[in-house]
Amino acid sequence: MDALRLSVFNIVGNSFCVEADDGQKVFERIASALKADKRVELSFQNVEMLTSAFLNTAVGRLYRDFTEELIRDSLQVVQMDATDLALLKRVVETAKLFYKDPERLQRSINELMES
Amino acid sequence: MAYMPDERRMQAMADVTVSNAHSTYSGYQSLVRLYEATKGSWGDTISVELAIWFNANLAAPLGAILDGVVESLNEVSLDKLPPEIKTILQKNGFLAHFGYPALRDTNDTTIKYLKLRPSDGRYFNQYVLSELLGRSELPTLSADLRKKIAESIYEIFVNAQTHSETRHNYTCGQFFPQRNTIEFTICDAGIGFRTSIKRRFGKDLPAKRAIQWATAVGHTTKSDTPGGIGLAIMKEFIAKNRGALQIVSNDGFYELNESGENLRDFNGEFPGTIVTMIINTNDRFSYGVAEAEATYSVF
Repeated sequence: MDALRLSVFNIVGNSFCVEADDGQKVFERIASALKADKRVELSFQNVEMLTSAFLNTAVGRLYRDFTEELIRDSLQVVQMDATDLALLKRVVETAKLFYKDPERLQRSINELMES
Repeated sequence: MAYMPDERRMQAMADVTVSNAHSTYSGYQSLVRLYEATKGSWGDTISVELAIWFNANLAAPLGAILDGVVESLNEVSLDKLPPEIKTILQKNGFLAHFGYPALRDTNDTTIKYLKLRPSDGRYFNQYVLSELLGRSELPTLSADLRKKIAESIYEIFVNAQTHSETRHNYTCGQFFPQRNTIEFTICDAGIGFRTSIKRRFGKDLPAKRAIQWATAVGHTTKSDTPGGIGLAIMKEFIAKNRGALQIVSNDGFYELNESGENLRDFNGEFPGTIVTMIINTNDRFSYGVAEAEATYSVF
């Protein structure tokens, strides 16, 4: 089955993909495709600027609704430059941790109060 | 703040001096003093004097404080300015908000003062393009470094957009060619790190500890979306660049520089959050990631 190609540039309408609200638009498109059992090829062609806030919402949030296995098997990123890929990798690692252990942040605050 | 009879308080509010304000703890303390001296005033004329030195990027927090003063139906007078301070604040557009004509910057060292609503992201894009990415007169900046600075600025902007509940963001910068630095400040008049953490986790940390907690990787007050990468990335960048990162939030001060992290309290508070990056423009560090190291198997 051919993958559905989603252009981040087209969804956002801008080469500056920095705001969380714009990331939400991308998240919704990917999520609806995955729910329909489609494979997704996410293209970052023509994207000049990215932030972690954008990627947290666009991609990180997928780990709330889908398993790691499904995301790994169904989502592919293309035409992303090397520094942006490094940022995406951090976003993914942080997201996995965030949803795996939701109490971790509360614990770190509690520990800080007790120290 | 100690109680003062109305007459003395009126006198104190009538004339406030911000003296020798650099991007340092004591520079921010002088802005905190300005806020403390003017808060609660209503319907007065307040004369603000800037004396000796005023770092142009600090126009951002000064604008946030003075907007609060004006919103309480006070009149702000900025007529006691030494000529050098007046000129630079006219060139960066700050004084145009307070009754002065704007001046053209023939030295091309200013990064304009901008006040915008959090929803005005598109204007902010134009600002970053025209004031940083597209500036040919900042030749010492490599393309890598330029992009890294812009990314860091966006991270701060969207952080304030998401968390601060501010009505406006204020930004301003200054290029110091002799010192090979750019000092860039973004500030808001929002709830600050301390309140944000208290609301999410029910714990009241001292402001300086709240800032420090928020700068660690993966630490976020969002409950439904992962986060906490932006400030951590900025810390890494500043360390490689051998620059400095300063964060002021309420009565807390946080600084990261070559000596490490430094946390302090202010006497009084700032009504929001200030983030200043001091960037070394002589930086030859390569911020790119080698293509060979990049991997598409990120999931």
